[in-house]
Amino acid sequence: MKEIVVASGKGGTGKTTVASSLAFYLSLKGLRVFAADADVDAPDLLLALGGGRTVVSMDVEASNKAIVDSERCISCGKCVEVCPFGAMVLPVGGNAVVAELMCEGCGVCTLVCPTKAVEIKKAKTGVINVVETKHGFLCVTGRLKFGEHNSGHLVASVRNLARRKAQDAGSDVIIVDAAPGIGCPVIASITGADYVIAVTEPTPAAKRNLERLSRIVNHFGISAGVVINKSGLSVGIEESIKDWALNEIGFHFLGEIPVDYEVVKALVQMKPVIEFNPSARASKSLIKITEHLVDLL
Amino acid sequence: MKEVNVPIVAVTGGKGGTGKTTVAVNLAVGLQFSGLRVMLVDVDVDGPCCATLLGAKHEKAEKVTTFLPLIDETKCTRCGKCVEVCHEHALVAFYSGTPKPFEELCSGCKACQIVCAHGAVGENRKLIGTVYTAESNGLRLITGELKPTEPRSPIMARATVHKALEELRVGGYDVAIIDTAPGVHNTVAQALWVADLALAVTEPTPLGAHDLNFILDLTQNLGLPTEIVINKFDIPGGLKEEIYRIANDRGVQVAAEIPIDDELLHAYVSGEPLLKKSAGGPAARCLASLTQNILERLERMK
Repeated sequence: MKEIVVASGKGGTGKTTVASSLAFYLSLKGLRVFAADADVDAPDLLLALGGGRTVVSMDVEASNKAIVDSERCISCGKCVEVCPFGAMVLPVGGNAVVAELMCEGCGVCTLVCPTKAVEIKKAKTGVINVVETKHGFLCVTGRLKFGEHNSGHLVASVRNLARRKAQDAGSDVIIVDAAPGIGCPVIASITGADYVIAVTEPTPAAKRNLERLSRIVNHFGISAGVVINKSGLSVGIEESIKDWALNEIGFHFLGEIPVDYEVVKALVQMKPVIEFNPSARASKSLIKITEHLVDLL
Repeated sequence: MKEVNVPIVAVTGGKGGTGKTTVAVNLAVGLQFSGLRVMLVDVDVDGPCCATLLGAKHEKAEKVTTFLPLIDETKCTRCGKCVEVCHEHALVAFYSGTPKPFEELCSGCKACQIVCAHGAVGENRKLIGTVYTAESNGLRLITGELKPTEPRSPIMARATVHKALEELRVGGYDVAIIDTAPGVHNTVAQALWVADLALAVTEPTPLGAHDLNFILDLTQNLGLPTEIVINKFDIPGGLKEEIYRIANDRGVQVAAEIPIDDELLHAYVSGEPLLKKSAGGPAARCLASLTQNILERLERMK
């Protein structure tokens, strides 16, 4: 079983478009596909696949939060002094209050409180659903509770569940749609995967963020390839990305996808573009990219 | 908390790539053209792009470090208390040996140091990123950049916001614009936490609409007044009505509709804000009118 992660340093480059078409096309080719949406901040993969029927839903409690017992609090302010995240507030004349969004649950407050008025409790990080898509394969999708810190934990839970379910189902491949960026949720998305598809676009901002993404991909020693989406915006930047991907960072070049409004129409219809219009220019490119990837793996 | 009286406008949006940075940079330039002294703060620490879009060069770099335990083997009694309290499991003791810190996991909370009764936990520093500052034609730019392989974006975002607040407290600014990361996680919350007004930039697709709801949940929870900016509002086959339905349901206003415009795209690729290049095209006129709208709002906020 291969696990392929679709990632990008910059947001909005087309990760979900690539992931949904990849999953759809591989399934069409007869492979047993499993999908996982690890972009728990903006979980859109299921939308791009046309939704489905939820078969399992569970809360994930991987976060910790401090809670102050106002009966015991003597307003000494020690917890406010030591809190490294600015999450403890002491209003004039009142008891210590926890600003939940800022609290990482490290528990330093509990260590210094002279009256044991602070306690650390488990808190909800988010929700995970297993959904049967209308294409016949399953998709695990996570959704982070807004403002939460532990998106990496939730992503790890999404991937673990996807792997277990995929193994049970005898799947050939797991397609993971990752979050944009290079931080905790992205690291949690790519570690231990078989391949990373880095989706970018030919703009200076996207190129810069691809460079940053390549540093973590190479740090974890994962094979990777670049897809240039919205090709045609700037030929100069496109050439420099290709050249740099091949020669400087050792990524494969998987292909490019032209600017094509059929992609938007497909999104609005909530269909992978290859399903919506197989003869669209973007679909043809995506098929070529997928075939290239299959050959590589 | 904030303790500054300079108004702060955060540009956010839920989904990635909707045009947050384009709006933030043009708003900053537009407000500057209106005579305000503007600070632009890039808190998308995973992939900061304001400098690229402004065509600005970072001038000063300040390293951001966090606490990392340094265990003194001569003082350590191997009692294991530090290992026990570390909620990130960043301290590990093998076979009753001296605990070893795992740098990538440490959040810098100092619980180990506080709990050690033998003074065996000293301080080391771990680099998590850099805050860059620059002046671009009178515009102050502060950029937070996470070190690749470091996972803790929220802490880097917080350090960037603090640096900006520090400068704002000194004075000399009329307004600050913050460009946030995509998503609704804590890196975004750190930036919205200090804002007085948020602009949620979205696009008229099911994905844009879906993620707009999430970011509105977050700003609502923070009690932060929010307005919507629809980018690429005229995208062929788009769902503008769906965004208006959300705005209506939530009682949130649509502040601007930015059309698809090649001029905007060229400005984006060439690293010069559209409002500096042109004021005549459809996107430029829209960004100018958004600036005017915000300017009036800032007047009312005084």
